[in-house]
Amino acid sequence: MNNRRGCRFGATIIGIWLTVLGLLFSGAALAVSKTTTADHSKFKELQKTFASGPEVTKACLACHTEAAKQVHRTKHWTWEFLNPDSSQRLGKKNVINNFCISVASNYAFCTACHVGYGWKDDNFDFKSEANVDCLVCHDTTGKYRKLPGLAGHPAYKEMELPPGSGKIVKPVDLTQVAQKIGKTSRDTCGGCHFFSGGGDGVKHGDLDSSLTVPDHELDVHMDAAGLDFTCGTCHLTSAHDIPGSRYVPTAKDTEGRHLRGKVSKGNPATCVACHSDRPHSLKEARLNDHARKVACQTCHIPTIARGGVATKMIWDWSTSGKMDEKGKPIVKKDEKGHVIYDSKKGDFVLGENVEPEYQWFNGKVRFTLITDKVDKSAGVTPINRFDGSPDDGKSLIWPVKVFRGKQPFDPVNNTLVKPHTAGQDTTAYWTNFGWDKAITVGMASAKAPYSGKYDFIETEMRWPITHMVAPKDKALACIECHRADGRLKNIAGIYMPGRDSHGWLDLLGGGAAFFALLGVIGHGSLRIFSNRKGGK
Amino acid sequence: MKHIVAWLIVTATVGVTFATSAQAYDGDWKRGRVYFRQVCTSCHLSTSGKTISPADRVKADWSAYLKADKHDVKGKTNHSVKYYSSREYRKSIVGANKAAEKYLDVPDAELQADIMAFVLYGAKDSDNPSRCQ
Repeated sequence: MNNRRGCRFGATIIGIWLTVLGLLFSGAALAVSKTTTADHSKFKELQKTFASGPEVTKACLACHTEAAKQVHRTKHWTWEFLNPDSSQRLGKKNVINNFCISVASNYAFCTACHVGYGWKDDNFDFKSEANVDCLVCHDTTGKYRKLPGLAGHPAYKEMELPPGSGKIVKPVDLTQVAQKIGKTSRDTCGGCHFFSGGGDGVKHGDLDSSLTVPDHELDVHMDAAGLDFTCGTCHLTSAHDIPGSRYVPTAKDTEGRHLRGKVSKGNPATCVACHSDRPHSLKEARLNDHARKVACQTCHIPTIARGGVATKMIWDWSTSGKMDEKGKPIVKKDEKGHVIYDSKKGDFVLGENVEPEYQWFNGKVRFTLITDKVDKSAGVTPINRFDGSPDDGKSLIWPVKVFRGKQPFDPVNNTLVKPHTAGQDTTAYWTNFGWDKAITVGMASAKAPYSGKYDFIETEMRWPITHMVAPKDKALACIECHRADGRLKNIAGIYMPGRDSHGWLDLLGGGAAFFALLGVIGHGSLRIFSNRKGGK
Repeated sequence: MKHIVAWLIVTATVGVTFATSAQAYDGDWKRGRVYFRQVCTSCHLSTSGKTISPADRVKADWSAYLKADKHDVKGKTNHSVKYYSSREYRKSIVGANKAAEKYLDVPDAELQADIMAFVLYGAKDSDNPSRCQ
């Protein structure tokens, strides 16, 4: 009996030892680098079933009492921005573009990318703290998704979306998402900024889903196996206010490198904020001289849409509305599967590895708003204009994506128009393909006049390029610009060796070089001759 | 003797099960994504010219595939799937692959769980069918 007890004791000891081994093993498996000091799954406020996003927000605000007030002050919430330079009232709420054109009357669709819940019409309550969406920026599960048409809400129950499509969307597990919240990431920012303009990579050209796991070639800073920058690494956020604006960009950073312990009013998202305005070594002093006139991005982002995701370059709304023989909408794709025609939207031209265009830019942008007059006979209408000149001391040569298209306008009032495109009602263009009804409703929503007549006008829109920074050995070589048909062929106001020539200046320079060479040869010959003579 | 062996098995099983289930590691799908795209995809591209996307299979297929642990049934390359996320393999490609280098010290079981989490996250029948890009 005692013997048996002894054996059982021994077996128990071995069992405990194996248990400890198991714990050690599982402990090792738990060695995950944590980027947060709080495990939100342990918070009682989050250990419940949530029926809606605002319910989750209320739970968040129980601890993060000031967060919603901070978000309320940002452009991500207001979608409105008063440009201090031009006094133009901008922001998504007000501007027009030549992609999906405008959010007016399309709120429920467009506000899938708003950091709030419930913005479906002009009556949205901008003061409601519960309507701030915390999860869209702080989700780490990748399972939180706001859907077009739901006014910024995710799916709370199984639903068919779009209605009649047969595609079933499952509800989001809000409890799981809330318990696993964390820092923002390329995924959370990219959820909107990679897919803006209606699809992956459509709008920017330098922001698309390939940046979720980029390699070194695609972006030296965001390289997932290297520096692994998130958006927030550069867009250093304070009180939920994210620096970096396309309405008042910092074209030339004169603040210099930001140093720890030194107060800086500069934009932390510029290249200069880390690399200074003389970023190259002394051996490359000539390149530092270039930095006085050329933006870093010009040389270091040789092409955009490099990650395998095409970007839209042209959008022609005037060809939309064509149907097949059965009267059904058409979608045409190219050999790579890119949509190049859609009855709802017209013709598209897409591009990969696109060389940007270049221009002087001082950071001042002026938009053509719905109150501004346009003139079809005057040529292409700029949706926005970038100011700049070689002489103002504020401009650098910048790379830009120029997005060209044709879009509806009012030929009587001579204004651009805001059509009602998205929705299931009888006036939405994507449902009923009638421009007149769509423009009538859209302009009424924008509280702007519409004559009842429409036409199409050529437009172009500029987007500064600043992401997809290539490795330094892939930066532009001198010859890319210093030749007659080089990348900077259209840059005016400067003399560029290799691109420009003046008869007398070339003669003078060539002559000076020739005579210098002659002098060197002559002097060298004399030295050799005199040396030999002396040697004798 | 039979009693002792049975007691040993029961104690050890209960202990290990308790230990692993109490502190179960559920996989970091983002880390799995980096490894999948920058190790698995790049190797598949260079050896066969084809990529395998998480969205090529449904969740059940991925689970069965990883559980079966049969990478190459023809036997031309290493047979085991697990081998390609093992530290041994990562060590063999360090210098040629930055992701393998970055995750060199991650325990095998953890990295396998990460990869599993990613392929299930991006499977054909998931909410986020993912390409390999």
